[in-house]
Amino acid sequence: MTNHVQPLTTRGWVPSPRAIAIAGGVLGVAAFWSTIPPFTARSPVVPIVIGVLAVAAGIWATTRGARRIGIGAIAAGVIGIGLGVVATRSSSSNLNTVFTADLIAQILAFATPLTFGALGGMVSERSGVVNVGLEGMMLMGAFWGVYVADKSGSWAVGILGAMVAGGLFALIHAVWSIHFRADQIISGMAINFLALGVTGYFFEQLYGQQNIPSGVSTVPNVRLPVISRWHFLGPAIGNLNLLIWVGILLVPLSYVILFKTPIGLRVRACGEHPRAADTVGIDVYKVRYAAVTTSGMLAALGGAFLSIGYLGGSFTENMTEGRGFIALAAMIFGNWRPFGAWGAALLFGFSTALAYRLPVYSGSAATLFQTLPYVLTLIAVAGVIGRSVPPAADGRPYVKQ
Amino acid sequence: MVDETVLELRGITKVYPGIVADDHVDFDLKRGEVHALLGENGAGKSTLMNILYGLTKPDEGEIVIAGKQKSFTSAKDAIAAGIGMVHQHFMLIPVMTVAENIVLGVEPTREGVFLDEKGAEERVRELSHQFGLAVDPTALVANTTVGQQQRVEILKALYRGAEILILDEPTAVLTPQEAGELFEIVRSLTADGKSVIFISHKLNEVLEIADRITVLRRGKKIDTVPREGATEEGLARMMVGRDVLLRVDKAAARPGEIALDVREVRVVDERGLEKVRGVSFTVRNGEIVAIAGVDGNGQTELIEAITGLRPFTGTVAVGGRPVEGNATPRRMLDAGIGHIPEDRHRRGLVLEFNLAENLALHDYDREPDSKHGWLYPKRLIARAGRLIREFDIRGGGPLTLARALSGGNQQKVVVAREVERDPTVLIAAQPTRGLDVGAIEYVHRRLVAERDAGHAILLVSLELEEVLSLADRILVMYEGQIVGEHGAGAGEEEIGLEMLGGRKAAAA
Repeated sequence: MTNHVQPLTTRGWVPSPRAIAIAGGVLGVAAFWSTIPPFTARSPVVPIVIGVLAVAAGIWATTRGARRIGIGAIAAGVIGIGLGVVATRSSSSNLNTVFTADLIAQILAFATPLTFGALGGMVSERSGVVNVGLEGMMLMGAFWGVYVADKSGSWAVGILGAMVAGGLFALIHAVWSIHFRADQIISGMAINFLALGVTGYFFEQLYGQQNIPSGVSTVPNVRLPVISRWHFLGPAIGNLNLLIWVGILLVPLSYVILFKTPIGLRVRACGEHPRAADTVGIDVYKVRYAAVTTSGMLAALGGAFLSIGYLGGSFTENMTEGRGFIALAAMIFGNWRPFGAWGAALLFGFSTALAYRLPVYSGSAATLFQTLPYVLTLIAVAGVIGRSVPPAADGRPYVKQ
Repeated sequence: MVDETVLELRGITKVYPGIVADDHVDFDLKRGEVHALLGENGAGKSTLMNILYGLTKPDEGEIVIAGKQKSFTSAKDAIAAGIGMVHQHFMLIPVMTVAENIVLGVEPTREGVFLDEKGAEERVRELSHQFGLAVDPTALVANTTVGQQQRVEILKALYRGAEILILDEPTAVLTPQEAGELFEIVRSLTADGKSVIFISHKLNEVLEIADRITVLRRGKKIDTVPREGATEEGLARMMVGRDVLLRVDKAAARPGEIALDVREVRVVDERGLEKVRGVSFTVRNGEIVAIAGVDGNGQTELIEAITGLRPFTGTVAVGGRPVEGNATPRRMLDAGIGHIPEDRHRRGLVLEFNLAENLALHDYDREPDSKHGWLYPKRLIARAGRLIREFDIRGGGPLTLARALSGGNQQKVVVAREVERDPTVLIAAQPTRGLDVGAIEYVHRRLVAERDAGHAILLVSLELEEVLSLADRILVMYEGQIVGEHGAGAGEEEIGLEMLGGRKAAAA
């Protein structure tokens, strides 16, 4: 449950159970992927063979120590066979409308606010403060991002405004949960309702019946010089919003800070055993204030992506529509780790993207897909595929002696 | 040993609402010595050391280190002044490595930004080699033993350049063998010029390790004495303020009818292992039967079976009436079992309940506590007030939360509740664990008094000394079986040998 992988005792060149398990997981995904464009295998034998291989790899790894990832590989194989066989039954023209290169772009776009939110939640909870106020902080970022961008005429200033707004709201949560030692769930929920009211009120006051004027400065897309002309990768990642890239870059960055620097070690110490941190002279309160505030700023970036990024300069009441909560779920599903959280965000982004596209041939399947994040989170929390373990002191106010 | 004073505390006073924790306490420490701080729980030892370590601010008094007056506002200041503390409850993070725990707060870095894990591990290896503290720097703390964790704590202090080490009740969590290793470490530290403050309430170990001994009682310093010439009796008198009977004074037992009859009992633990393998014995009215044994030889499971906490096969009869093997704890209580559990926090008390509620845990649902489903709090409070007087429970009234009491007084609450029910058989599982001298004496006297009143008492204890001084009959348990039975005057050596399986072959 830490960043330390047990050193592997490899005799000669034998792949570790862990590596086999990961390969099994990849095969599981491949079982499904083989049946959709650009490969579009038409025979159910293909996904079944690949999926069985994935399950076999998973079982092999499970019995040799890599239990967690092994069970994941088995699950991936079974799901891959199921989805793959279903996909081979539908016509390839249908599949072509659903699974295209810009599905990738769309997944990344849907995953981005979740990535920001999940990373933000992770920073806060790693320091020991539960943050269910992500939704509200995100909403604040969405509104103040578009407002400041509108008034200043600059998307960059807009992003700054979003971060200040999100940070301030997070600071409220911090004061309540750290200074007043209030129940952190209640404080976080209060933040959510407060944000809904504040953004609704100012939206009404500042814009009245008119909407956000068109032509608000928005975050530009990044057109990659060569890649954007390539066959598959071009439409997939050749022309993505700047904030999508920022979100992706934040994943390794937050991993390095959290697990490879003294600052990260101290943040984690405060989340695991604040008294131990205190006795070696770490100011637990200061660390937690900083972490919660950072958390709010990250969540606000996710909100700003909605208002002045992906949707191009707009705002509606309750624009975030629960994405803060899904981000929280992604954080839990990702076991409070950056890459885990990002993977979960991508998975949830994938299910959302599918839900948008599937109505083409099955409306009920689309609705079903939208529940996937919640089902997966329930599974993760129940510990079916490796239990999610929160930081030991998560949610517990610290009282100095 | 040079006669150089490295630390002086002058007139330290700390007042908490309603209690003077430390009252003008003076204390000094010389280079290379072990100075023990002795006192009962609540005597002010921990407060004094928290002040020295910068965790608590004194109301009065000064701290002088190496001739300079200091004022600490946080542990950071104390660490900078060369003080290291090993807390009774370890301040370690289980999910981090030994090296990470040691360097936390003063981490070595690469390029000024990144954590230098290799460098940290190297430095920990050097230190552990230098002072003979064997630890694996790359191991997760969660995977280390309690003894190793203590060494990590000591290394943590040494890594920060500590010259003065405070060890807060360091042997409380250790096995006798680990305690012996710790004493070796302490000796090597003082040989190296470090000074050690050794906090304890165990007389024998203080006499073994300390050069000088300072005794605190109710926040006041009583005296500082050299080890030479100090005796357990003398120190105990200073700690408690009166003569303490370290030996239990009791008349010969007059056993009556059989109160508890255990026959061929077998118990399985949650992993399916048979922990109690066919145990038979009896306990008569008016006698104390003790089960001796090393921890983990089935004593816990046996007690859990007799108290209804765990199903068993075989027969158990209380007062001549048999009870079934899947009986609930309630059924066992009604059959006449009283239980002082080995873990008073987990099973003896509801820490967040007040004393009146804790004392009513058995009979809250019957008259006079309640009637037709209605509780009568005033009756609970009145009863609690009576028991608090009768059992001399100090530190609170009927409405005080159990959490707020000292360990000794918490145990008195448990004893009061169980004894008041007038049980046919009173089971006392490690009844003095973690208690100080005065409280131990109280519990012992109470158990003997219950025996003399004609109750049957089954005592389980890991402390052989306690078994020998209390029991009228001694059963030795080893690997789930009774391997020996002795009368009151049995020899320590013989029993000790049986506890380690020395006569297993003969018994089987």
